[in-house]
Amino acid sequence: MKLFDAVKTYDYRSLLKHNETFVFFVLLGFSIVVTIINPSFLSIENLFDLAKSSAGMAILAIGVFIVLLSGGIDVSFTAVAISAQYIAVKTLIILGIDNLALAFLISCSVGIALGSINAFLISIFRLPTLITTLGTLSVFHGGLLEFVGSTPFYSGQIPDCFKSFGLAQVFTLVREDGTKFGLSLYVLIILGIVVVTWIILRYTMLGRGIYAIGGNREAAERAGFNITRIQFFIYCYVGFLAGIMAIMHLAMIRYATPTLSIVGTELSVIAAVVLGGARITGGSGSILGTLLGVALIVALQKNLVLMGLSSYWHQFLVGLIIIVGVSITYYQSLRRSQQRVVFTEEL
Amino acid sequence: MNENLLEIRNVSKAYVGVQALDKVDMTIRKGEIHCLVGENGSGKSTLIKVVAGVVRQDEGEIIINEKLYRYLHAIDSIREGVQIIYQDLSLFPNLTLAENISLNQEIERSRKVINWKDIKEIARHALDEIGEDLDLDERVENISVASKQLVAISRALTQDAKLIIMDEPTSSLTRDEISRLFNVITDLQKRGISTLFVSHKLSEVFEIAERVSILRDGKMVGTFNTEELDNDRLVYLMTGKKVESTIYKFDEKKKKAPLIEVRNLSKSRNFKNISFSVQEGEIVGITGLLGSGRSELALALFGMFPADSGEILLEGKRVSIENTQDAINAGIGYLPEDRLNQGLFIEHSITRNIIVTILEKLLNKFGFISAKKREELVHEWVNRLKVKTPNVESPAQSLSGGNQQRLVLAKWLATNPRVFILDGPTIGVDIASKATIHQIVRGLAENGMGIIIISDEIPEVLQNCNRVLVMAKGKIIHEVKDVTSVTEDEVFSIMSRKEAYEAV
Amino acid sequence: MFGRHSKMWTLFIMMVALSAIMSAALPGKFLRLLNFQSMFSQFPEFGLLSIAMMVAMISGGIDLSVVAITNLTGVVSALILTRMIPAGMAGPQAFIIMALAVVTAIVISGLCGLLNGVVISKFGVPPILATLGTQGLFLGIAIAITEGHGISTFPEKFLFIGSGMVGGIPMPFIIFVVIAVLIFLFMNKTKLGLSIYMVGSNPTVSRFAGIDNDNVLIKTYVVTGLLAGLSSVVMISRVNSMRPGYGAAYLLQAILVVILGGVDPYGGFGSVLGVTMGIIILQVLQSGFNILSFSPFFKKFIWGMMLLVVMVINFFVAKYQQRAKKLGTQPVESVPSPGE
Repeated sequence: MKLFDAVKTYDYRSLLKHNETFVFFVLLGFSIVVTIINPSFLSIENLFDLAKSSAGMAILAIGVFIVLLSGGIDVSFTAVAISAQYIAVKTLIILGIDNLALAFLISCSVGIALGSINAFLISIFRLPTLITTLGTLSVFHGGLLEFVGSTPFYSGQIPDCFKSFGLAQVFTLVREDGTKFGLSLYVLIILGIVVVTWIILRYTMLGRGIYAIGGNREAAERAGFNITRIQFFIYCYVGFLAGIMAIMHLAMIRYATPTLSIVGTELSVIAAVVLGGARITGGSGSILGTLLGVALIVALQKNLVLMGLSSYWHQFLVGLIIIVGVSITYYQSLRRSQQRVVFTEEL
Repeated sequence: MNENLLEIRNVSKAYVGVQALDKVDMTIRKGEIHCLVGENGSGKSTLIKVVAGVVRQDEGEIIINEKLYRYLHAIDSIREGVQIIYQDLSLFPNLTLAENISLNQEIERSRKVINWKDIKEIARHALDEIGEDLDLDERVENISVASKQLVAISRALTQDAKLIIMDEPTSSLTRDEISRLFNVITDLQKRGISTLFVSHKLSEVFEIAERVSILRDGKMVGTFNTEELDNDRLVYLMTGKKVESTIYKFDEKKKKAPLIEVRNLSKSRNFKNISFSVQEGEIVGITGLLGSGRSELALALFGMFPADSGEILLEGKRVSIENTQDAINAGIGYLPEDRLNQGLFIEHSITRNIIVTILEKLLNKFGFISAKKREELVHEWVNRLKVKTPNVESPAQSLSGGNQQRLVLAKWLATNPRVFILDGPTIGVDIASKATIHQIVRGLAENGMGIIIISDEIPEVLQNCNRVLVMAKGKIIHEVKDVTSVTEDEVFSIMSRKEAYEAV
Repeated sequence: MFGRHSKMWTLFIMMVALSAIMSAALPGKFLRLLNFQSMFSQFPEFGLLSIAMMVAMISGGIDLSVVAITNLTGVVSALILTRMIPAGMAGPQAFIIMALAVVTAIVISGLCGLLNGVVISKFGVPPILATLGTQGLFLGIAIAITEGHGISTFPEKFLFIGSGMVGGIPMPFIIFVVIAVLIFLFMNKTKLGLSIYMVGSNPTVSRFAGIDNDNVLIKTYVVTGLLAGLSSVVMISRVNSMRPGYGAAYLLQAILVVILGGVDPYGGFGSVLGVTMGIIILQVLQSGFNILSFSPFFKKFIWGMMLLVVMVINFFVAKYQQRAKKLGTQPVESVPSPGE
């Protein structure tokens, strides 16, 4: 009975205020439409596959989300990721070592190092975050290609540890015809990151500090938050996450082309985060929303063909979704702020 | 045992070319409600920042709880129990009340991990201390200004405050909310917590303070028991001058057709059925408590937040005012309440600021701005309003406060309005400049402009207007046709009486 | 240093010094007429984009979609030029189609700008986000239309815009100068132009001053769009082709040039003169890099570094000015206002 009461008395109206609800319903609607066209969309196998392919974007999105929470924006994360990836794989190949742990170590270290450069510029010099990270995007990517190298590594050259990592599964199921499929380990990784991030944001002073900076930076300073330290954490964390994503990405596609991959997807990732409800002014949003946003973008990506559109329309669709999505969200707050209400009831 | 909680001795502080504080002495007793008053630029905010340890004094000492500090850091001040509540309250809009109240303490205790139970408990305890019941899970951005203030006070209490400094706390509160705030302060006093209150509203000084310290030009004039003072003496001590105030007389015989006429102007949830008229040469005052709809009415007349229904007629002709450009074209000017933040482009030149509203008048036949016309116009207005500056290309921020006020006026007069609305024209302005502004305004009226003064300072409207409209709860409830026939108290009671609210 | 216009003088000195260094370091290669002609025909398309970025920034925003707009308008014009002009078409007919291509570029770029302006002002979306989204939108349409391929080979007469010369001076350069002067007059001498400065400086104060912020912002982005459209016309006629993704590097460079040229990223300040000098400085560097055969990767690295270095320098300059004010050794300086 208690559960029933709880369901009855729940404040459903407050749900409507949340951006996440909208995204959820859009996602739901979209899924239904797609399933009608192609029933295999909602099959377990397909869902597992979706989960695996969206894990990378999800990790990057969480990093971007934290930056947005603090009132900033980072567009260099893709360059950080590709740099981490390329340096890690090149080092492994040159040294002839086939060790996944080492790969992660190198990748995350590079990520944190590059992230700290961003942190330094933004916190010490108080530079505007968009333009700064546009600059570091160029510096990181250009620097990587020029000083580390630009030759791609193909499947044959990639150490085996990556391949086995990419195929690792949490559990395996058997199809009717005897072939197997399973839930990728990636899902566990993303889950782990989600949990860790959530704990940091909710249960540590550091996390609340991020929200505080995004809400009112001056008040955060006055309250005694160490802004510099928090910003270093934020941007290094993004770098760290980019490092993790880099290895996962490499293991999945099994080749490294530093000139072409990852960089260029900034728009999709930021779109996912913003659609999920994070404000560009900072201070609000949720991990759940971010994940829903990623799910929506990936679902779209994967089903373009099903909807009769060639993959060339992907970029357009992402842009369109951002525009429509943010217009609705921001329009709502615009209307609210334009209505000056002195009295709560009619006169 | 020393009854003084805080003692400031011989404190001086200079900024570039300005002696902000000059050998100031002040004491605050334990459990005292103390007011700090002074005109703009008297040094009030510097003084409280010195006490909070945010600004370091050049000379002098600060003694808190019988401990001597030559150099006071913010953290020392906090540890001694001094809490400062800035005018902007320094709250986090995106966080809950519980967090806003408790975070400071948690940071001070160097906590790394958040225990939500603790956070709520600390906040609940703090709110209970001031006897308020607010929803701890609500986000601060969703609550009223008055509630935000209570949150700020509770926050101050979590850190074992002995002295709470408030900088102009009542500027955005309604009468009821001010009463509530004063109750809280009195309550705090009973518990031995002192309050230092910076205010420019002299009426509040008399209402709540036991003692008042008066600053003038950086020097402490003295600290007095409020019961020993009255309004005139207080003003005299603040300004060093006896300010003559004469009532504005309007020659009834000059009556013509109205310059501006407002008929049944209404805006949902802001005001309803407003009708009045202003003639050439009249200065009409509109007064009412905060929240009476008076500022909203002014903004509707200026097109900032247009009305929903009703008519506005200028010189007998109906005009449609849907935006500020319409209003300016119709000949209505508006001097905003926060002149500096809403009236000036502070980093741009004096020239730029003056011409921005009248760009159309400066166009030559190609549609370009004529440099010659621009210079002529700027020099004309700078001279007429005596804006002191060596160079009109200097940025507005290089002017002194008083000159900045004049610049804003110049900017509007350059549009040659037929009707000029002034919203709180002398708030935050020092008394000498106040007089000048009133003088300028009267001169304008005598030259045929119609003036509307919106103000909650009753003495201001009674002295400067020939007619006063009283608003409450969105409607005009009373018109004072003869300003000599009423006293300030009578008007105040009209504005605030319960019947006004019930009848509406 | 030199009072109000210190920033302009600094840029001027930088521009001259850099050219001198380049000439000295690369004797015989830099200071050649051919080199100058090539420089002056290359930079206009990018220069127009920089001016577009300047206008958007002065209004307090930014336009990340400028390159995407050039891609889209370029692709559409290219289609008109290639599909509607069969090989043997007679002079006047071909000319009309070419004119149509140019007009279409203008119209489409204006519409793109209009979309930007509406989303930003009427829906209240922050410019970063809005133009990030429209960038995807416009580029996406271009990709979808061309399926990723380039379109090339335009009528010879058309190529005159981008490759022709008038009395030894490259045509694009002439176009650039004309537009730069027009924009200068626009920003400094017209009501709308000054309003853009005001809205970028403080939107609240400008509302109280009777400026229709929404209207001004919409027009700002339309102007930005139009400039991008013009740039695309110059682009396709110089390179004789267009493919989606062309000019991606220009975005960062435009921002670099604009910041270098003294535009305040927060809005309200900036001048055509400063931006032009920034463009020249960049082009001189670019030219030097080409002569030295720097790889595109290295160049990308350098542009990014320059942007960061310039901003850090600005930080220190501002700090120095503030400290000088406090010590009373420097009078309160006015920020250089454009052309006054």
